[in-house]
Amino acid sequence: MNEPVPPAAAPGPDRAATFAIRKKRVKLLGLTVDDCIKVFFGGNAVVSIIVLALITYFLVREGAGFFGQNRQNLQVYRQAGLEYVDFIRTQSDEHTALTRYLSDLRLRALRQLTETQGLSLDAANTALAPFDDYSGKFSDAVEPVRGLVSELTEVATAIKTKFIVNEDKKEERRQLLAEGKTAEAAAVVITSVDFAAELKPLLGTLPAYQAANAEFTAKLTAVLAAPPTLPTPELTDRLQRFATLARDYLATFPAVERNLAAWDFRQPVPAAQSFTAFIFGRQWLTASFWQDWYGIIPLFVGSLLVSLVALSLAVPLGVGAAIYINQIASPREQKLIKPAIEFIAAIPSVVLGFFGIAVLGQALRLLSQQSWLSWVPGFPYSERLNILTAGCLLALIAVPTIFTLAEDALNNVPRAFKEASFALGASRLQTTLKIIVPASLSGIISAVLLGLGRVIGETMVVLLCAGNRIAIPDFTQGLAFVTEPVHTMTGIIAQEMGEVVRGSIHYRALFVVGLVLFVVSLLINFAAQKIVRRYRISIG
Amino acid sequence: MNTAAHVFRPRLNAARRAEGLVFWLFRGATYLILACGAAVFLNIVFKGAGTVFKTEAPFVNVAFLTEAPESLYIFEFEGKKYELGDTAFRAFKEANPAAANVKTESYVYSAGGIWPCIVGTVLLVVGSMTIALFLGVCAAVYLTEYARDGAFIRFVRLAILNLAGVPSIVFGLFGFGMFVIFFGWNVSLLAGWFTLAFMVLPVVITASEESLKSVPKGFREGSLALGATKWQTIRSNVLPYALPGILTSSILGIARVAGETAPIMFTAAYVVRDKLPWDVDKASDFFFQGVMALPYHIYVVSSKIPQNEYTERVQYGTAFVFLGIVALIAAASILLRTRLRNRYKW
Repeated sequence: MNEPVPPAAAPGPDRAATFAIRKKRVKLLGLTVDDCIKVFFGGNAVVSIIVLALITYFLVREGAGFFGQNRQNLQVYRQAGLEYVDFIRTQSDEHTALTRYLSDLRLRALRQLTETQGLSLDAANTALAPFDDYSGKFSDAVEPVRGLVSELTEVATAIKTKFIVNEDKKEERRQLLAEGKTAEAAAVVITSVDFAAELKPLLGTLPAYQAANAEFTAKLTAVLAAPPTLPTPELTDRLQRFATLARDYLATFPAVERNLAAWDFRQPVPAAQSFTAFIFGRQWLTASFWQDWYGIIPLFVGSLLVSLVALSLAVPLGVGAAIYINQIASPREQKLIKPAIEFIAAIPSVVLGFFGIAVLGQALRLLSQQSWLSWVPGFPYSERLNILTAGCLLALIAVPTIFTLAEDALNNVPRAFKEASFALGASRLQTTLKIIVPASLSGIISAVLLGLGRVIGETMVVLLCAGNRIAIPDFTQGLAFVTEPVHTMTGIIAQEMGEVVRGSIHYRALFVVGLVLFVVSLLINFAAQKIVRRYRISIG
Repeated sequence: MNTAAHVFRPRLNAARRAEGLVFWLFRGATYLILACGAAVFLNIVFKGAGTVFKTEAPFVNVAFLTEAPESLYIFEFEGKKYELGDTAFRAFKEANPAAANVKTESYVYSAGGIWPCIVGTVLLVVGSMTIALFLGVCAAVYLTEYARDGAFIRFVRLAILNLAGVPSIVFGLFGFGMFVIFFGWNVSLLAGWFTLAFMVLPVVITASEESLKSVPKGFREGSLALGATKWQTIRSNVLPYALPGILTSSILGIARVAGETAPIMFTAAYVVRDKLPWDVDKASDFFFQGVMALPYHIYVVSSKIPQNEYTERVQYGTAFVFLGIVALIAAASILLRTRLRNRYKW
């Protein structure tokens, strides 16, 4: 249609008039109307590329500032001496953990004495008096060090506050200058913080610390030398274990002292550290009075665990149902069940989340408290909202995705495969499991991956049902981790985005989490497509 | 004839029993899924119906569907127990001055209705689907009618596939960064429309493309042979026949648009708003106002207020109405599709 009119038709007005299809073309910038329409449609097709690019651009635009701000955050942490104090604080915190171990041990011993041996509460407490003495001495030994920590905390916090006030004033002056109010800007008094001078009292406490530490060490060694006796071998073993832990703990003291002596506030924070502190950081702590940490690990682990629990439920169900519908079910059953499962996909996720809060969380907790289920790891549990609750609901979200895509994959296996298998005398089960499923395996795997993508990006269910506790679950009890509450990447964005100050480090950190989520989902998608393309069985 | 003697008669042996067992496992998985879906659905329907419907005429709880959310006050006064909404409670205090200092239990959003949320959701769905259908159908037309296979088209398809996998909360962040902050639209209908439209775009494109492809080639060839231009062909011989399929595609899209909460959390939804969307001073304000939306309201009432017998009514009622609306839109779309399909047969 777009070819130029043949020149033969051009000369002679009489001939041109008789030629029926000759038309005058309107041209716009050298394009005919049809070309314009084509360009218009093409422009719409490009929209998805543009959107993808814009998503990347805006996530980076809002999030990129995070690393600079985080570096400054870490820099202040060092310059104001918070890092110095944290060396000692960690030491004191580890001691607290050991004390907790002891009180747990006492609880066990008390239960042993009252329940198994039938002692009265008073008698049991008397029997445990030596143990109480031991644990009391152990926990009191830390006092000098702990006193030092709380003293130093105040000093360091004061320095940090001073610095932050100064930064705010600088910002104020910058804004005033930007508005052209030079006089007001000059009136803003900024006294730069002399960290070396401010830190003097802090660093001056090193001898005091060394003395306190020596006392602490002596006390602990003395306490550990005289362990009490406990009623059963099992408890004695635990006490032994405690003693080993405590000795390991004592062995770390020289390292702490060395760290303190070698510490230098002038040492710059490398740029890479603001990145590694985010990627490998095990703490996400915001709006704290001491120091904010932005580490993605607890959130990432939370997302991953919830998704894994969901997939471990959804994959057998979804793939099983796909096989059933595709290979076994009668046509009538197919016609009924397929739309029904697709309808499940239409249940909005926030409704599922509400169902989890209102019904499922409670129901699962009740189930966990049944005595005949106590062999299940982690049962019984008391937190209504946890990985398990969220995982079950997410499974319901993932199932339709996995089912539909896996069913498609099974459907794409050529008929000839099935017929050939039957002709060789294979049974239906053999044909299904050894011919059809392997032939469509790439499709099924990509279905599972896309299900994972769907689950890891799901927000409302995890926000409502995962328990929202920012902590890495305790893996020491094996599978019991599924009964612990977690927080997820999607959940943290949804929860905190509404409360943060625009442009603050916290705000930018959330955008970086979004960026991580975006990249993860792209990678999952990419892997799914690669697998389909690479391992597709060629037909014919 | 003795059937037992037939050579191909299935015999019950271990292999066959194993087969039966495995098939029952698969069947069990299928029905377990359906049972879980049904459990959620029925739980919401049964408990929610109690809020939305009544046993006496007019059988529907009109107040719940037509009023704005209010705080619920529960108190005992002169030996009688009252449960009143905010306005009713104030009127009660005026009428009984003695009740001014009565001890009350109060729950936010637990009285009144959800009318502003319904309006907001419908506006969000209509606006974003209009944008998404326009962009999506045009893109699909290009991909099926104009494009020749090449690096560019492969790139476009890759982008569509990847866009489909982007989590909804990332769309929310993007919409916040671009429309709310960069364009300065603030939390507004317009920002929500575009955010949601971009989110469903891949669904609409993929499904539109499929229905465009299903229009027989002969339709196009016949039209072109008669001397119609490409655009005339598409307009009169392709699009009308593809429309039913495209509308089907919008079902999936609508379910997603109406159901997603994460993208509108920071772009379009308000926790509470007194005015209805059409209460605006000038017409342009209409586009730049935030609205209440059902999914966000469900999130708010299920996470921000405690669970008990008083709050349960509004929680289940909202969830029920929300599910009902999603199902209704889907049903309307299906009906339209069958009517259109009956008109065109090839």
